[in-house]
Amino acid sequence: MEVSSLPLSPTQRGKLISAGYTTRLSLSSVSPHQLAHDLNVPHEEAIEILKIALKNGKMGESNSTHSVVTGAQSAWDMLHEEDMMRRITTSCGDLDNILGGGISCKEVTEIGGVPGIGKTQLGIQLAVNVQIPVDYGGLGGKAVYIDTEGSFMVERVYQIAEACVANIMENHVPQRKDARVCQKTMQCNSFLENIFYFRICSYTEQIAVINYLDKFIEEHKDVKIVIIDSVTFHFRQDFDDWAQRTRVLSTMALKLMKLAKKFGLAVVLLNQVTNKVVEGSFQLSLALGDSWSHACTNRVILYWNGNQRYAYIDKSPSLRSASAPYSVTGKGIRDSTSHCKRTRMM
Amino acid sequence: MNPENLLNHRTQKCTLGCPILDRVLSGGIPCNSITEIVSESGCGKTQLCLQVLLSSQLPVSNGGLNSSSIYIHSEFPFPFRRLQQLSHSFRSSYPHYQNPCDKIFVRGVQSAEELLGLLDRIDGLVTNPPSQNPPVKLIVIDSIANLFRSEFENTPGDLKRRSGLFFKISGLLRLKAKKYGLAVVVTNQVVDFVDGGGMNGVRAGNLGVFNTSGRRVCPALGLAWSNCVNSRLFLSRNDEPDGSDGGFRTRRRFQVIFAPHLPESSCEYFIVREGVFGVEP
Repeated sequence: MEVSSLPLSPTQRGKLISAGYTTRLSLSSVSPHQLAHDLNVPHEEAIEILKIALKNGKMGESNSTHSVVTGAQSAWDMLHEEDMMRRITTSCGDLDNILGGGISCKEVTEIGGVPGIGKTQLGIQLAVNVQIPVDYGGLGGKAVYIDTEGSFMVERVYQIAEACVANIMENHVPQRKDARVCQKTMQCNSFLENIFYFRICSYTEQIAVINYLDKFIEEHKDVKIVIIDSVTFHFRQDFDDWAQRTRVLSTMALKLMKLAKKFGLAVVLLNQVTNKVVEGSFQLSLALGDSWSHACTNRVILYWNGNQRYAYIDKSPSLRSASAPYSVTGKGIRDSTSHCKRTRMM
Repeated sequence: MNPENLLNHRTQKCTLGCPILDRVLSGGIPCNSITEIVSESGCGKTQLCLQVLLSSQLPVSNGGLNSSSIYIHSEFPFPFRRLQQLSHSFRSSYPHYQNPCDKIFVRGVQSAEELLGLLDRIDGLVTNPPSQNPPVKLIVIDSIANLFRSEFENTPGDLKRRSGLFFKISGLLRLKAKKYGLAVVVTNQVVDFVDGGGMNGVRAGNLGVFNTSGRRVCPALGLAWSNCVNSRLFLSRNDEPDGSDGGFRTRRRFQVIFAPHLPESSCEYFIVREGVFGVEP
């Protein structure tokens, strides 16, 4: 519904439109204070405009259910919005399936596993895949990669990006006339350029970068994924006071969640595993303790089953727990090829 | 606070002094990274370390780092005779290197605290080594396991203190590696695999089962330490019957267990007077 159809004075309408409020929807989440500032009108007048907009909205469109509290959304709207949300593919079909299509934007996903299981590989794969252009079913976004362990290797990113470009060419380009144009736009170097890489050497630096991200992404709105590899490393040293560590970690987790919501981007946290003593025996669990497990929306655990790598959805509000095999190849994360291997073994 | 430009972010590698071993590591030991060499004693990990100390002095065009190096040892005595021997063969291949041992700085440490103290004060030596030698680009710690073998008990409290130290050492090494572009090599021992022991049965990396000298083993220091290295290599030896006279032939294997930049790969190797060399597959 257009602003111009609201029963407002022509001056008010003009002011609204020139300030960028063209639809009634754009008025739904703005505060009176903000509107007064933007339109350069008294506070009372702004409240009046919002009231009118709200009232007309309700009467005009019966199926639209905008709430009385400005800024709030109904669950219906949120569901609709989520359906519109694109997901970032992992390049492994089975893994995408159990994730409901890939890593979801607007959410914090934690991925944990033993050394060598492929956490960094998955991180690099996502940093590349987020850049797949919209025309080819991707997000056409950019990535922020926060490396705390020094495992991010440019030569590996290059290999994965090369395979990703080759894959797109193979699957899409024959039907398109502009093949040459997109080959030009999809160069491996540009994949590297679109990963904003931060190397972190202490936990204070890690917190500083996360605090800075808000400003950084404000300037780079096309960032669609933030990867921290690993979120754990610096928090397993230098902390004698465990209560303090828990506080620092939960503050960080809240910031990351807020970031994911505000900019509609995916946050992926890679975590290590540790031996936990449970009633005298050792058990494997993700590091950083029990309170940390609330820090993320989704939790995926990577593990070995025989000679096969598996991913398991440990926690998610919307996905059922399931596991899927995947493999790490020269080209990156791919579907497991073990189906044929398994028959050979039998 | 600015992101780094990845386009001119090439990882420098240090040759191992053998093209076949280098090929397994796609060029050698990477800088800005910690590479761990795991093996039982007698597989040649110390010799391989000494060889890397020498080859790091080579110019970049020959696969080296054109640098000095620091060797921190916790197993005594320091194998200077073997180093001398290796440096002779190094000089016969590269005659214009007057005395390669001049560029290797050696220091013994007896405990984890001593190692931490040394790493805290190492900056001066790294950037400005004595007698006009080039800056240090390689640090070797041989071995990390020896520092933790005696002092700690198998109680939850001690294990926690021990893994705290692991992460501290690793954090410091990674910081220095990043700051000065260092390649870091640490060696680790193996312990016998105890079935049902819980702690050391966790699979980490390409190899489900580590076998050496007919025993099933696993890297020492457990899961916590394996989070502290970027790449893990495994050296093993196994005796195989040789022909009909009942003799044995020792087959040695050099394997990549995990590395962020490498596929699963391996090669056989042998040790001779001149050094450690890979066998063409």
